[in-house]
Amino acid sequence: MIKIKNLKASIEDKDILKGIDLDIPKGEVHVIMGRNGSGKSTLANVIAGNEAYEVDAGSIEMNGDDITEMSIENRALQGLFLCFQYPVAIPGVSMAYFLRAALNAKNKHAGKEEMDAVEFLTRAKKILSELGLDDSFLKRSINDGFSGGEKKKSEILQLLMLNPQLAVLDETDSGLDVDALRTVAKGVNEFKNKDNSVLIITHYQRLLEYIKPDVVHILIDGKIVKSGDMKLVYEVEKNGYAWLTK
Amino acid sequence: MLKKIQQDSHDKFEELGYPSKKLESWKFSPSKHLKKYNLINLDQSNFSIEQYNDKYTLCFINGELAKESLNNFIYKDGITVSDIDELDDSSICSTSSNFEQEAFFHLGISSIKSGKYFEFHKGVKFENPIHILNIYNKSEKDLRISSFNIFKLNEGNNISIIEKDINKGSGSFNLNLNKFICPDNTIFNHSMLYDDKTKSNYLGYNYYQLGQSVLLNIDSMNINSPFNKNFIEVDLNKEGSEAKINILNLANGDQHLDNNILMNHNAEHCISFQNVRNILDDQATCVFNGKVIVSHGAQKTDSNQSNKNLLLSNSATAHSNPQLEIYADDVKCGHGSTTGALDKESIFYLRARGINEKDANNILIKAFAKEILEEFFDEDIRSLSEENLNNWIDG
Repeated sequence: MIKIKNLKASIEDKDILKGIDLDIPKGEVHVIMGRNGSGKSTLANVIAGNEAYEVDAGSIEMNGDDITEMSIENRALQGLFLCFQYPVAIPGVSMAYFLRAALNAKNKHAGKEEMDAVEFLTRAKKILSELGLDDSFLKRSINDGFSGGEKKKSEILQLLMLNPQLAVLDETDSGLDVDALRTVAKGVNEFKNKDNSVLIITHYQRLLEYIKPDVVHILIDGKIVKSGDMKLVYEVEKNGYAWLTK
Repeated sequence: MLKKIQQDSHDKFEELGYPSKKLESWKFSPSKHLKKYNLINLDQSNFSIEQYNDKYTLCFINGELAKESLNNFIYKDGITVSDIDELDDSSICSTSSNFEQEAFFHLGISSIKSGKYFEFHKGVKFENPIHILNIYNKSEKDLRISSFNIFKLNEGNNISIIEKDINKGSGSFNLNLNKFICPDNTIFNHSMLYDDKTKSNYLGYNYYQLGQSVLLNIDSMNINSPFNKNFIEVDLNKEGSEAKINILNLANGDQHLDNNILMNHNAEHCISFQNVRNILDDQATCVFNGKVIVSHGAQKTDSNQSNKNLLLSNSATAHSNPQLEIYADDVKCGHGSTTGALDKESIFYLRARGINEKDANNILIKAFAKEILEEFFDEDIRSLSEENLNNWIDG
């Protein structure tokens, strides 16, 4: 699905990613864990094409296509989806308008017709109900006045509506209570299938109690220093990260 | 009576001369180009208003009310129209002390051929808004066209006026002077839509006098005119009144759009809002001079001023000057001003969902404008303004 080779990236001349190699095959769930400042969110943003970051070396391939220089929107249209850690509030743009604009862009790219209003509403209402959100959520402005939980659920709503090939979840578990965490995890599990992939970026193991990863990577100072399975998560939980730098 | 007022204004203009940048209200506004416009003797004789002859519309041709449109006017039985010259009480023509210091105001008064006084009958509530069309049809170059009208409501009136300009000429300097008297227990809505592609210059002086428990809404949207400067002054003279002003200006090229608002809180328990947004592209400039004066004794005043400017180019300039003068001690007054470009994080968020950069920018511009348009009191004006906005964005 996605192959990252020797990826180096910086922001305002500060090197953050110092040579990342990552291969996530179709149908797999990978996890990246690491301390604050290790480069986790930078990796998510660079994969999504955030122009605030400079790619200094390396490449990102998605389904065999080099997307390293690709525009943000074209990556999304290729099937990439970033669940934002801090989704921005956009007053004056309703969730419904936004979701329809995104779906229309996706359908247009795929050479399909625009989704009609009835189909859109039926699908959106079903997902909203699963996420424990009221239908009126669609009338609200994007993330404007949303609680922390609502913001993350809004990201999952978008994920399920757009149904991408690769979902990058940037600390989607942060700031959630147990119930909201369970709802978000349920949404991700509903999305996950053998034809798509998920990259979870997190600090904690708690989300991983609900979403079972295939591979776990540890990111330290802009490099993946160790990869393994769930056991690695428990080791980090027990011993922290220090032993991995020795 | 009019002649006397005009003579006084003529003398005052001679005394003041054309405004310079030393004046606060003209500090950031170009005025030199307005000097070249001359008054000529205007008439309506060769212009047919047939195509605008809607029963809800009053047509003014080159500043003068077209008699034909008044004859066809659906609400003519609820209104008395007379010449200002025929008024016995000259105080009806009196204006604000601030306008008295404005040279162009006096130039306008001294230039008019006649002015009209509209008095709405007591208790009248018109179901539909009155449309006022200011039609300019002169092809001569560098014309200055002035109008002066007074609208007096009476107790119990609920009146909406939608004012638009149609320029069939070659482009002129249009000076519009209006006074609105809103006595106790009246509702008055005033929409001003400026969309002139003929390169005319507009200068407006609008003065509103409010009695007790009056509800005043002023909405304005402005696109296309190269120079548009509007003075709005509201006197909240008795308790329990509310004045809301919502203005959206869209400018590109070398356009200059300018709003000067003065809200005089002279009584207790009054509310006022000023909400002005400018969207500027290319080398366009805008000015917001907004002032709230809360007099001694105007306790429990609730007033808010907001000016937000969105700059779509590095060469666009916004001048923002919100001011408060408070002489009472138990009031709630707020003001704020922001100027900036489109938010990069928001653009990234939209693009990350597959929306292209141009569409993402347009969504954000529309959202910025929409917060004003949603406040417009008339649904048709909201739709029309939204259409104008979309056309402007699509270029």
